[in-house]
Amino acid sequence: MADTDTEALVPVTVLTGYLGAGKTTLLNRILTEQHGRKYAVVINEFGELGVDNDLVVDTDEEVFEMNNGCICCTVRGDLIRIVGGLMKRRGRFDGIIIETTGLANPAPVAQTFFVDEGVRAKARLDAIVTVVDAKHLPQRLEDSHEAADQIAFAVVIVLNKTDLVTPEELADVEGKIRAINRFAVIHRTERAALPIEQVLNQGAFDLNRVLQIAPDFLTDDEHEHNEDVTSVSFEVEQPIDPEKFNAWIGALLQEQGPDLLRTKGILSYAGDDRRFAFQAVHMIADGDFIGPWKAGEPRVSRIVFIGRNLNRPRLRRGFEGCVVD
Amino acid sequence: MSETVAQFLLGTRGTQRDLDAFVVATRFDRAGATVSFALGDGSVHLVALADKANWRKLDVHDGAALALAPDATQTGFISAGDDGKLRRIGEHDTVTGIADFRSKWVEHAASHPGDKGKGLIACSVGKFIHVFDQAGEKLKELPHPSAVTGLTFDAKGKRVAASHYNGATLWFVAAKTDSPRKLEWKGSHTAIAIHPDGDAVVTAMQENALHGWRLSDGQHMRMSGYPAKTQALSFTRNGKWLATSGADAMVLWPFFGGGPMGKAPIELAGGDGIICTQVAAHPQQEMVAGGFTDGLVVLAEVNTSRILPVAPPEHGTISALAWSHDGTHLAFGTEQGFAAIIDLSKR
Repeated sequence: MADTDTEALVPVTVLTGYLGAGKTTLLNRILTEQHGRKYAVVINEFGELGVDNDLVVDTDEEVFEMNNGCICCTVRGDLIRIVGGLMKRRGRFDGIIIETTGLANPAPVAQTFFVDEGVRAKARLDAIVTVVDAKHLPQRLEDSHEAADQIAFAVVIVLNKTDLVTPEELADVEGKIRAINRFAVIHRTERAALPIEQVLNQGAFDLNRVLQIAPDFLTDDEHEHNEDVTSVSFEVEQPIDPEKFNAWIGALLQEQGPDLLRTKGILSYAGDDRRFAFQAVHMIADGDFIGPWKAGEPRVSRIVFIGRNLNRPRLRRGFEGCVVD
Repeated sequence: MSETVAQFLLGTRGTQRDLDAFVVATRFDRAGATVSFALGDGSVHLVALADKANWRKLDVHDGAALALAPDATQTGFISAGDDGKLRRIGEHDTVTGIADFRSKWVEHAASHPGDKGKGLIACSVGKFIHVFDQAGEKLKELPHPSAVTGLTFDAKGKRVAASHYNGATLWFVAAKTDSPRKLEWKGSHTAIAIHPDGDAVVTAMQENALHGWRLSDGQHMRMSGYPAKTQALSFTRNGKWLATSGADAMVLWPFFGGGPMGKAPIELAGGDGIICTQVAAHPQQEMVAGGFTDGLVVLAEVNTSRILPVAPPEHGTISALAWSHDGTHLAFGTEQGFAAIIDLSKR
């Protein structure tokens, strides 16, 4: 995948979040503030844009299972057709923005961009942006697992409606978000107002940027949050044996696929000066060499998991077991 | 002009243009007098075969054209677009509306000449097939469990069929009460073709394979081994072969002698790793035209495997390919907007 000329691929931004969180407000901002740029917007039938946009595609979200017997291997069939159709208009828009319905699971949307050859040839997933209502998120996390999924898959989280909560409530909500996904960048906003460059053109699924960390990344768990979805990360300093890693990660994704929402890593293979970058959405994995370690840079291999039922000691042992003998 | 161009039929018998937008489809009218090219900029270009130097451009859709069909009548075309419009291109290049689906894409269009003025027009919008009479009056709306991905009439125009998620559905057009024949197979089906004898239906699937059903007993057929998705399915005139794209050759499945079940396909014009994107079977002879991702277009004779080069791999991925109904002309277009008409009539 790193061979593809990513500059030529149309970037796709996925906007997710519960109804009322401010997704449409953010979408309208993107469309009005991006002077001189044209976006194709894909919205579900019940969505409404507040502004005129030339290129709005009305869709019926159709999730279908891939024929490999795996229940978490799903794609958005309608997006495959829509991206194909939009590409016939090639050159007439700068990006595609897909707004998902409130209860949507982002996994099928993301997997679509990994799995369909026709889509991969023309478009690339740029980022998943989740808009969250600061006041209601705690309740949403209690009520449903989709809210946690949407945070888990996010690259950028727009923590909106901060004017409706106290500073303590805000810190608590942020803590809950961090407990689920330590790697997303969080922006605190009112009325979904934030510079659009913080939402578009993130390159977050580019293997070259796979472990780009939020500036306020916390290395240890400081807060006690009993979230259903958590993030864990591990590092090793010794070189990794690629065969051991492939065997371990393959078996792990196979076994725990539905629980592993996102996996990302950068590895130092024994005897190789190149970094190997890896990412997965459930079982759909993608990896490639991304360029050499810098001279003098410590060759630390890291892996991150965001998911459910993560057995931290077992995952750590598994990763450490990939080290060269 | 390079030397190689003269060896290709494009050089000796072709007329070409750069139309600057993705060629979504190309079709000839039923009389074989005019060819059209529908583009991703919403325009449709028309060329009279008797006056190939003159290419006329019509602005038909406010967006991209998504599908093209010959009209049910002898002249004219039906065009469908992502602007929600189903339009008719008629006499003297007039463009009129048949239907307006507002914000929904009209993704497929088909027509059948019928008997004595009882022609039919059909289009798909989301989960529905809409059927109109030749005049453009709405006859019926046929619902499917999920979005329609392919649309076709059978050879006699008695039935219309759609592919969709988990299978395909067949309808009798003239039925007073619509009761569909459901053909089921799990997975995403992305294109459909009906055998000329009307006794089998074939679909292309998301996972790079074809599926089929024998209508007499519902027996399933599986045709697999493709490295890529099959976008084009074309039966030869008598239904003896099904030509398909999606491999690095034109793959033809035998629909005779009990096939395709248990029979191997033949592969024509392949072997250099370039994927075939379009195929079109000649309307009379056992010959198939094929277009590839590198822009190569060839004709292949089924019985001898003889290959005739039509266009060199220079103008972009072949995205549209069609024969005139009398088999004298071949038209094709590419993703880069190159369009050409090859005149194969006897000199």
